[in-house]
Amino acid sequence: MNTMNGHKKVMVIGGGIAGVQAALDLADSGIEVFLVEQSPSIGGRMAQLDKTFPTNDCSLCILSPKLVEAGNHPNINIITNAEVEKVADEVPHFRVTVRKKPRYVDEEKCTGCGICMAKCPVKIPDAFNIGLCNTKCIHIPFPQAVPAVAIIDKEHCIYLTRGKCRICEKFCEPKAIDFTQKDQWIDIEVGSIILAAGLAEFNAVLKDEYGYKIYPNVVTSMEFERILSASGPTHGHVLRPSDGKEPKKVAFIQCVGSRDAQAGSEYCSTICCMQAAKDAIIITEHLSGVEIAVFGMDVRAHGKNFDTFIERAQTEHNIRFVRSRVSSVDIDPTNDNLILHYEEDGHIRKESFGLLILSVGLKSTPNLRRLAAILGIRVDELGFIETTPFSPVGTSRPGIFVCGSISGPKDIPESVIEASGAAASAGIVLKEFERKKIIVEYPPETPINDGDRPRIGIFVCHCGINIAATVNVKEVVDYAATLPYVIYSQEMMFACSQDAQKLITEKIHELKLNRIIVAACTPRTHEPLFQNTLKNSGLNPYLFEFTNIREQCSWVHQKEPEKATEKAKELVKMSVFKVLYLEPLSKTKLTVNKNSLIIGGGLAGMTAALDLAGQGYHVDLIEREHELGGNLWHVCYTLEGNETRTFLESLITEVSSHPEITVHTNSEIEEIQGFIGNYKTTIRRSRNGRSKEYLDFSSAEITEEHEEIEHGVVIVASGAKEYTPTEYFYGKDNRVVTQRELEALLEKAENKKDDGNQKFDISNLKSVVMIQCIGSRNDENQYCSRVCCSTAIKNALKLKHLNAHVRIFILYRDVRTYGVKELYYKKAREAGVIFIQYDNDEKPVAVMNENNLYVDVREKIMNKLLRITPDLLVLSNGIVPNDDNKFLSQALKVPLGTDGFFLEAHVKLRPVDFATDGVFVCGLAHYPKDIRETIAQAKAAAARAVTVLNKEEIEAEGKVACVVEARCSGCGLCVEVCAYRAIELDADKHVAIVNAALCKGCGTCAASCRSSAINLSGFRDEQILAALAAL
Amino acid sequence: MDTNAEKINVAELDSKFAEEVMSYPGGEHLRKCFACGTCTAGCPVSEIDETYSPRRLIRQILFGMREEVLTSPAIWFCLVCYRCYAHCPQNVNFPDLMRVLRYLAIKGKYVSPDIMDRINEIDKRLQILRHDLIKYDLTKQKGDMTGSQ
Repeated sequence: MNTMNGHKKVMVIGGGIAGVQAALDLADSGIEVFLVEQSPSIGGRMAQLDKTFPTNDCSLCILSPKLVEAGNHPNINIITNAEVEKVADEVPHFRVTVRKKPRYVDEEKCTGCGICMAKCPVKIPDAFNIGLCNTKCIHIPFPQAVPAVAIIDKEHCIYLTRGKCRICEKFCEPKAIDFTQKDQWIDIEVGSIILAAGLAEFNAVLKDEYGYKIYPNVVTSMEFERILSASGPTHGHVLRPSDGKEPKKVAFIQCVGSRDAQAGSEYCSTICCMQAAKDAIIITEHLSGVEIAVFGMDVRAHGKNFDTFIERAQTEHNIRFVRSRVSSVDIDPTNDNLILHYEEDGHIRKESFGLLILSVGLKSTPNLRRLAAILGIRVDELGFIETTPFSPVGTSRPGIFVCGSISGPKDIPESVIEASGAAASAGIVLKEFERKKIIVEYPPETPINDGDRPRIGIFVCHCGINIAATVNVKEVVDYAATLPYVIYSQEMMFACSQDAQKLITEKIHELKLNRIIVAACTPRTHEPLFQNTLKNSGLNPYLFEFTNIREQCSWVHQKEPEKATEKAKELVKMSVFKVLYLEPLSKTKLTVNKNSLIIGGGLAGMTAALDLAGQGYHVDLIEREHELGGNLWHVCYTLEGNETRTFLESLITEVSSHPEITVHTNSEIEEIQGFIGNYKTTIRRSRNGRSKEYLDFSSAEITEEHEEIEHGVVIVASGAKEYTPTEYFYGKDNRVVTQRELEALLEKAENKKDDGNQKFDISNLKSVVMIQCIGSRNDENQYCSRVCCSTAIKNALKLKHLNAHVRIFILYRDVRTYGVKELYYKKAREAGVIFIQYDNDEKPVAVMNENNLYVDVREKIMNKLLRITPDLLVLSNGIVPNDDNKFLSQALKVPLGTDGFFLEAHVKLRPVDFATDGVFVCGLAHYPKDIRETIAQAKAAAARAVTVLNKEEIEAEGKVACVVEARCSGCGLCVEVCAYRAIELDADKHVAIVNAALCKGCGTCAASCRSSAINLSGFRDEQILAALAAL
Repeated sequence: MDTNAEKINVAELDSKFAEEVMSYPGGEHLRKCFACGTCTAGCPVSEIDETYSPRRLIRQILFGMREEVLTSPAIWFCLVCYRCYAHCPQNVNFPDLMRVLRYLAIKGKYVSPDIMDRINEIDKRLQILRHDLIKYDLTKQKGDMTGSQ
């Protein structure tokens, strides 16, 4: 350990979802993080979205817990309103100069009460709402901003420009306004840097034929997200800008600024198809009877649950997806409707719509180039940070990593995966540094005995005007003082301020209080703060109750102050009666075994193994076959043209020779027992080269060995397999092959390997047909296999390279060359490959006629039936889950999705975790993906595993379920309903046992128990009933 | 799909036709087309003749339907207004493609060489007709308006 270097430090540039995820993973691994964000709050674009596809979760609802966590994390320093100006020296001793611009508000003192905003006389366009409405010159960027601190826009401030006003200063109680603030330069030394600064939108003004900023009812997709948002300019009502009325018909135009050589960029922006479908569904939820049409080319629904989402949009919400690009938009002057010109099935149409939404693409920014220059990293010709398929989060400079859309447009799950992956890489660089030590000492806890009389202290908060403007706080305080067992009752302007904490501690000591109630905002913001105050005062933090009289009272009853005050009193009374029954709780501590077990030795398993070993953790890598490599053995090169065989071989060599990795080939999982930090797995190894299922029982030499391995985490990297086609004469005619078989043929032809086994002479082929979506997007496998469009184009390009005259026809449903892969679709067209679109209800037909093979397909544009005579028919067959996924999912107690792949904890924000702690997933086992995505996800799984492994012990929740054994009948219902698999039935006692380490305190078990035999500590039946009885 | 219906046998088409068209200046971008339909949607000729479709014509060239394309009246209908090219996301210069096809049609003796003169004559007469009709319409409108006073 190099103590001369200080402890592990990383800088993350960019506070969007990618930057925040990377910061959290690093911080949870004992690394100090400096999170630099250009705007006054972290959150990025995701904070501006209304909902996210395909789950239709409210975006801020899933994002803001991460923002709050980052804001509270002892290892994360958030530096907002700041830019990186200079980077000197090399890894692992970068010296970064950050310029923090003044916000004229002291971040330590501001409590985010918002009084200044209310009083400020100057209105400015609200940047967060993309100028669709106004905010004040002094403003908090958005309600859920972190930090929730105001900022003054100096260009518009009357005092800063003309020396008058200062109203905000007059009204600010904590005296947080500071007009003397200046630019501050901060020098920070870090070991590695992660760049996550994102992209910008295409300026739709450049597509003037669509009327943006010319006609009033044309908006961009981001503007529309703000219109849909409840906190936006129309409070979530879908209204037309021209007359404020609800539109009856809404149109979306896709690919605005994407896939466009003329005005915009040639790549695909990846997310717009799904975003439009999501927005369309949300509109139908707002406006009944609305008609919606989405005008695009291909529908790119290539992610997990995306295709079923699009289908739902079409069948349940009647959204029309029209495969036609709009040539221009006119306005109808009588009603400001937009008239779209498009062609459908040979007919020219001019259709009128009340509202038009342009799905604008993503593009690089001048700031990206500036940062790249400062960091000394390369930018590719599309304007994104340059990465390679084998190193998706690495840049051209050691020690500097990237994640999120800054290296190419991608959606939220991919950004989160790359963020965790970048955290893994950044962590590896710092292996020799020490972990950051957080030394927090608390005074010893005063014991609470059963017979002790409760002594309650109540602190009622004004929250500036947020509560006090509606609720009469003094009245509530006086009322509370009359309640039983209340020793002390006081009002406070801001209970969350540092001064208030001191006062609370004082009163606890002076009056020997043993129960504390704070009546204020939401526990989501400050519960940890108050619990910490209790700990600092020698009280168990679970003797605390947070009463919400803001979100649940003052904010929603602003028009009825008397009734609101009565309600606040009742809420406080309920809390008083509940706290009487509160008891001290403790967090269970678990030890952590530092070893990891990885199931699967393919690309994903090996990548994860190397990242874990790279940070000093031992790995047991379990592989079923006799050699490592998995499906990657069957790939010869990537779409970009990189050769994969040498890469694979060097990866295998690195893994096999690494001192921290133990490879177990010919091995399978027999049983897995235990839980996070404490697993014991039995593996079964067969000696004669094949695992149990394939053993030839006639052989006399069958030997099986068992081995037990103890470990702290599990990574599932068990891969998937090819769909074996039965259609189109596959297996019956040797002219019909899969893409994998074609690739092998191409590789042999290119390297001029003639093993005398050649069925086909590549250079003599005259006509090749490829059919897409074989075994995918159908009733059996309802998902898209994601890689087949790229594979077909990759092989077609290689084939053209080896045989310039061959005619290639690719029969597709949608060409899903998402992101920068779009450029290879163009290359294929330019090389003469002909693409023919077909619909699922009129598929191409293969016909055998006297040993002639024909493919008949309807060419919809000419509306003619074509008969093609291929020498070779290539089927783009999809990826299906492994047969033993079911066994593994039961052994690990993790779920499978309806598609048969492993189901992660949350499709958007937890793409490598499971609901059960300690188990992670990556690679094809999760969902079809390409090499680049597999490597990123494997790295992410390793990073997430490190957040567990780096700790000496794990603290579980304090508010966990507990079983009253006398009442338990052992029916097992609680075991079934527990999403975290935290409950088991004890075989001998025939009662339920809760594993406090895994329990998350959700309460589902307590709610479902028919015998009241299971209680949730902190929300026990008697506590809740006491609160209710008080009403 | 009715396998007994009439089909076009792709093997019988001229697979070199597309390359031939591309070898002439103006035809280079032909293959970039991804059949999005923007050209046809904005085309003033397509608006009055739904059998005329720039997108369809490009497909016919790509498949190699040489005879059908060069004998088709479609290649003479194009107004050369450039609206398709103005909006095409792949920069396919359709009017220039028409020019190449017209050249090949004349060269291949599918039409008489004076066809362009005859079309220009028609265009000129149509311009005069259009000009006079608008003039008449405006005079009549003015007369109607003064008459009603």
